[in-house]
Amino acid sequence: MVSKNSSKLPLEGLRILDLTVVWAGPYATQIFGDWGAEVIRVESIKHFPSTTRGMVMRPTKKMVSQIGSLSAYPDRDPGDRPWNRVASFNAHARNKKSMTVDMTNEEGQEIFDELLRISDIVIENNVPVSMDRINVNWERVSKVNPNIVMLRMPGFGLDGPYADYRTFGSHMAGVVGHYSVMGYKDESPDMTGNTLTADAAGGAGAALALAAGVRYRRKNGKGIFIEIATAENFASYLGDGILDYTMNGHQQEPLGNRHIVYAPQGVYKCKGEDRWISLSITSNEQWERLCVLMECEDLALDKRFDSELARQKEHDFIDELIEKWSLQKDAQIAMHELQDSGIAAGVVMNEADAFADPHLESRGFWEQLEGVDTGSNLYTSTLWTTEELERSHKWGPPRLGEDNEYVYKELLGFTDNKYKEFENKGHIGMDYDI
Amino acid sequence: MANGNVLLPMSGVKVIDLTWHLAGPFATRLLADYGADVIKIERPKIGDPARNMPPFFQNDPGIERSGLFMFLNTNKKSVTLNLKKPKGIDILIELIRDADILIENFSPRVMDSLGLGYEFLKTINPKLVMTSISNFGSEGPYKDWKATELTTYAMGGAMINTGHPEKPPLYIGAHIPGFHVGTVASAATAISLLGADANGKGDHIDIGAFPVWMGAIDRRQSYLMSHQYTGDISSRPWPASALGTGIWQCTDGFFMTAVGAGLFPRMARMIGAEYLLEQDGWHDAAARSNPDRIDESIALIVPWMLERSKAEARDAAQKYGVYGGPVNNFEDLIEDPHFKERNFFSKLSHPETGEVNYPSFSFNLHLEDTDMPERTHAPLLGQHTSEILEEYLGIKEQELTNLYQQEVI
Repeated sequence: MVSKNSSKLPLEGLRILDLTVVWAGPYATQIFGDWGAEVIRVESIKHFPSTTRGMVMRPTKKMVSQIGSLSAYPDRDPGDRPWNRVASFNAHARNKKSMTVDMTNEEGQEIFDELLRISDIVIENNVPVSMDRINVNWERVSKVNPNIVMLRMPGFGLDGPYADYRTFGSHMAGVVGHYSVMGYKDESPDMTGNTLTADAAGGAGAALALAAGVRYRRKNGKGIFIEIATAENFASYLGDGILDYTMNGHQQEPLGNRHIVYAPQGVYKCKGEDRWISLSITSNEQWERLCVLMECEDLALDKRFDSELARQKEHDFIDELIEKWSLQKDAQIAMHELQDSGIAAGVVMNEADAFADPHLESRGFWEQLEGVDTGSNLYTSTLWTTEELERSHKWGPPRLGEDNEYVYKELLGFTDNKYKEFENKGHIGMDYDI
Repeated sequence: MANGNVLLPMSGVKVIDLTWHLAGPFATRLLADYGADVIKIERPKIGDPARNMPPFFQNDPGIERSGLFMFLNTNKKSVTLNLKKPKGIDILIELIRDADILIENFSPRVMDSLGLGYEFLKTINPKLVMTSISNFGSEGPYKDWKATELTTYAMGGAMINTGHPEKPPLYIGAHIPGFHVGTVASAATAISLLGADANGKGDHIDIGAFPVWMGAIDRRQSYLMSHQYTGDISSRPWPASALGTGIWQCTDGFFMTAVGAGLFPRMARMIGAEYLLEQDGWHDAAARSNPDRIDESIALIVPWMLERSKAEARDAAQKYGVYGGPVNNFEDLIEDPHFKERNFFSKLSHPETGEVNYPSFSFNLHLEDTDMPERTHAPLLGQHTSEILEEYLGIKEQELTNLYQQEVI
């Protein structure tokens, strides 16, 4: 093993003012924080950001026990400061700092200006009307610091009839046509459920946009204003289907879990509760090996199944055959047997599969971090690794206002008295004051 | 401060693109959109396998007729090069020598077997950022496993939450698993490029589709954290998993909403049921968190939605601040006034198809001195071979003819 040198992380020295909410924006700053940028979440104790630091500010114990497992609280207990304990926030907030300032008044905006002067990037993903309320826009930001990279990422962009529409990633996906190519065969869209991949896509796209912006700034010695409409960014993920429509007038149909060419392909029930194996047969040789594995060798050379086209025709029959086999199998064992036969196959992994997975473990995919309000937990590591750099997370998710002293005193030079004054005025705190 | 102005953020960045299929080409397409010079290396005569993947123009297959390929390869230049011939490898090495970025998505170890491993390449180009994209990443017990997009979506974890609770987990559709890995790869590459510029030293990035999906924020990271807090194993939620949340039938299709107990008063006002908010069991968020409220609200929401079109539901939802949106198809999208007003679709001419509408950029640069330049169509196979070899390596006409005859290019 060649030892990695510990040269600087690629984004070290960059300071980000982070006004992001929910998931799409925070995912971009998660990526930037992971690779060395100083991310300062700019929050307010005068405004509770619903869905960012919990659905409601102070859920009761009973509510928490009824909330689905998507945004759980440790031991199902909201605790004294629930906003520091909710999974949907803590999932992305490692390596970030948190400061509070009330930007609905001029004094708060002046604090923000002072921070702008000593920062490299400002990012937000709110509906434009919310940013107007606290007077954050390129005109003002670039006047204060012409050298800054500003990224705004409202769901539908800064102009057009939907500019101020409130949506989540699942709805943006609906608007751009995602659910017209996703769904069970012969079932109506209310069976499809939804995805929040538009958020993950937006965050990753925004990380690219920020890196591009920083390069522009370095080369040109001036700032840049970038706009990413999360819905438009996600529409690109459907580019081939959109082109089928624009060049052929053809609307593709949902294929369920099947593939347009490969056959068979599907998700099959295994032994146990909600356990499933996915598999794709991409060649005749693999089909023959699957038949051997399922102990129905006679079908391997059967003319009814000797090509992709033939197997597409008999797909329902083949599905039944495979499920008869998979129902007797543990999903993990099925995955290993199929992969040992050279077949693309994977367990539909749940959380227990993920934490027990030897591949993720061996890649150092989990990092343990302590939190005052959360205890010790495993956090996903970086989305990618690099050969030359040694890195690890610095700290867990910040509590609301945890870094106020650092920001006000160290960065802005506040005296103890002035700091107290700003506490009294409702800018600085660790508890919502609403 | 400035060390050479650039028109676009990635102007002047030279990318040698050995990628094929989906994820890699989407990564380099994004870099090309923002100004990078992307030189796509393809196998002579055959090219990128995506050239043979549907949809085809007029449903008629052909290597210059794939809509998938045309979408993924705008703004790139195609150079054919036979990497099975030593001379082909020599030419590739010369191209890499002063490239900024090399991206590939072969199976792990292919680059080593071609004599193009990072250990070697960094000796000829210490500032090179090399990005390797594979299904599982180049390290770990699954590194040689097989996968399709279904496999990575299944193993990546989001699939267990996708679909209906009484049905099997559902694939996300289209080529979304591959495209997303491409976006992450482009971000990784651009981030490492900043490091290479600042520190004078390149790096080798290892991207695996499986870890990328496991670390995605499309619910997955949140469920992984929640599991540690409660021990719960997640599954597919019911469409009406929370108060005011669901996929509702309208007169002309379906409309989705996501509300929850906290914001439900907005929906109550939207459907003319604000009287509920005065009643016991509805007056505050805690009371509304009782699961019985979900069924009771469905009885009120369904008839309201059944009387309205998707557009009417959308306008009402926005008026009252209810998070939601219509379930559209691509015709709805292209005819939508919002995307029309933003010029999200623009025509691009290709020799085979003529003018076709393409979705526009993933993000917009608001530059004072230039508009976003127009895209060029996906290259024909080998369209730029002579031009690039002459421009970058000074290879002249006679030698080019020889290379053609030796089947190197």
